[in-house]
Amino acid sequence: MKRVSLFIPCLVDMVLPHIGESTVALLRHLDCESTYHCEQTCCGLMSFNSGFRNEARRLARHFIRVFENDEWIVSPSGSCVNMVKNRYLELFDDDPVWFARAHDLAPRVYELSQFIVDHLGVEDLGGTRHAKVAYHESCSTLNALGVSAQPKALIRSVRGTELVELTGADICCGFGGTFANSFADVSTALVRQKAQYFLDSGADLLVMCDPGCLLNIQGYLDRHHPGRGAVHLADYLAGSIGDKTQVAT
Amino acid sequence: MNITTDKFKETARQELANAHTQKFLQILPLRLASRRDSAYQSFPDPVAAHRYGQSIRDESIQRLPELLQVFETNAIANGARVFWAEDSRAANGYIVELAKRHGVSYVTKGKSMVTEELGLNEALTQAGIETWETDLGEFITQLLHRPPFHIVGPALNIPVEQICDIFLQKGVIDAPTTDPVALGMAARRFLREKFRDLQMGITGVNMAVAETGTVINVENEGNIRLNKSSPRILVCVMSLEKVVPTLADAMHMLRVLCRSATGQAAGAYISLDSGPKRSDEIDGPEELHIVILDNGRSAAYQDPKTREALRCIRCGACLNTCPVYGKVGGYPYGWAYSGPMGQVLTPALQGLGNTGDLIRACTLCHRCKIICPAGIDHPSLLLYYRYKDVVGDRALGGSGAGWRERFVHTLLSVAGSDHRLWRLFAKVARLAANRFRSGDRIHSMPNGPRGWFSSRDLPALPAKTFRERWAQMDPKKN
Repeated sequence: MKRVSLFIPCLVDMVLPHIGESTVALLRHLDCESTYHCEQTCCGLMSFNSGFRNEARRLARHFIRVFENDEWIVSPSGSCVNMVKNRYLELFDDDPVWFARAHDLAPRVYELSQFIVDHLGVEDLGGTRHAKVAYHESCSTLNALGVSAQPKALIRSVRGTELVELTGADICCGFGGTFANSFADVSTALVRQKAQYFLDSGADLLVMCDPGCLLNIQGYLDRHHPGRGAVHLADYLAGSIGDKTQVAT
Repeated sequence: MNITTDKFKETARQELANAHTQKFLQILPLRLASRRDSAYQSFPDPVAAHRYGQSIRDESIQRLPELLQVFETNAIANGARVFWAEDSRAANGYIVELAKRHGVSYVTKGKSMVTEELGLNEALTQAGIETWETDLGEFITQLLHRPPFHIVGPALNIPVEQICDIFLQKGVIDAPTTDPVALGMAARRFLREKFRDLQMGITGVNMAVAETGTVINVENEGNIRLNKSSPRILVCVMSLEKVVPTLADAMHMLRVLCRSATGQAAGAYISLDSGPKRSDEIDGPEELHIVILDNGRSAAYQDPKTREALRCIRCGACLNTCPVYGKVGGYPYGWAYSGPMGQVLTPALQGLGNTGDLIRACTLCHRCKIICPAGIDHPSLLLYYRYKDVVGDRALGGSGAGWRERFVHTLLSVAGSDHRLWRLFAKVARLAANRFRSGDRIHSMPNGPRGWFSSRDLPALPAKTFRERWAQMDPKKN
């Protein structure tokens, strides 16, 4: 049995905790034992992206201290994984000690679908769920981590699920962290376009690997197309294997 | 050129509301991007060709000071006159003075972003020298007094009716027509007259070759060729990063440039000029002046990070792939260079003073980085600029973060360094946010993120965080 350390981003912890629960359910289904360090907080992505590097460094050092002894670190968020795997190296490029520690940690950090497919070698979870779904390529997941085939393989493996083509699947949904707020007009134009492509695809659900995109797309759908849903890959897959772990809110 | 980099948001809003711009933007980037992709497939090994181009730019930038000296020596040996312009004032001054000295009444120009950067047209006009843009798109934008919308097609967004009106008004056509071919022919006829007795032509430079002292231009309309071969005096303006080591390097860069820009294996006309007309040649300029423009580049070169921006070869592939450019077009970027190209170049050259929005108008989606044939890591550079702006870096003219933002990130980093504080932080955040919940959603928050709520809801924050749920999960099941 593999022991996997859960890297639960702050957005998932506070706003979308069900994604964390689904991650646990999937890992258990794959015979992995999840551990969770209660000391974990925020990886520093938001501060780093906003230009607050000194503040981000502080959070990054905390993150490294918490996780550096773990063998496998798995997160249901492409952008947070990219931060730890790639951006930490940039953040500590003038600090040899912390650079070395970040460098040592990086190869052990995985995005969830990447861990399941590339590391565990599983492409079929044996689940069943009847739905027509489309897949949204989150920018960090696709462009920074190169993860795209993995989540799609997992979706295709679900019995009863049809993965339909999505126009502009790889075009940004306009989230970009604080971009969605500071450049609200442009961001809205992008998420409107994404929602339209989704509605045009004829899919029932839009699946993705990044909680940030989910917050953005679902937030837009709720306001303008109530009843239409976006869902995180972990939740979709956990649903297909009959996950019953979710604790009532 | 009127610099409006500080009006990004305002201009973006106008362009988002402009139905014509929006309709046009839905077609253009997709079309150019797919043409670029298929053109790249004509390389025997597209990935290797892409990487090879990046390595050429890598070498060019690494060796830039040395290559420029070699270029100058060889250009002078070819008979060209080389002028190093520290800034736009020096460059414009040299060109205006040259025109005046020769009693030139008008000049023609080939499309060039560097002269947009200089505001050369205005400088010449102020000195009483008529200036004619001879690229069709530039000609249209010049008549309309508009900045270029797109690097490859400066007037691609202008409706044909508007072109017809301005052509009638300026006497380019006698009778109205909206036939694009007829309009193109009329412009061509009009501009041919300017070439007939041309004293001075001005072009940019796509590439300069150090080993041979050659300047190279690529185009599709043939006007640059006429600008280079018909005048008595030719002025080629190059920003100093355009130099590459060898002719072989230039040939490869041209292959990636044309594929990246227009999806062509090569532009219709590629002209290589090594010096003015020789005594046994029948055409070509008697004088060739090469203006090498600095305009902030040497300063940008000092910092290994901002130096990266100088890799840019102005192909425009990043524009066509950028989701933000794809919504707002070229005007909001406010200077000669738009899209991700402008977002990395403009702050490097002008500092962060008026470019604070440019460096933040990006979702960090990484598409520009992937497509860039010069190997620029735009997201990394933008993040660097943001950092320099937040800390108020003097060299880059950073303005420093406001107290509110500084407070948020300080709080985040302090709370995030101790999980007990973090837990408290989460509780307070939940209580504060959920005061505004209606059902399981939050539709707005007074004093909250207004931009977010302008088009989106937030889910109400659940009663238990993941951390709390974890504590409740059956440990045996995990």
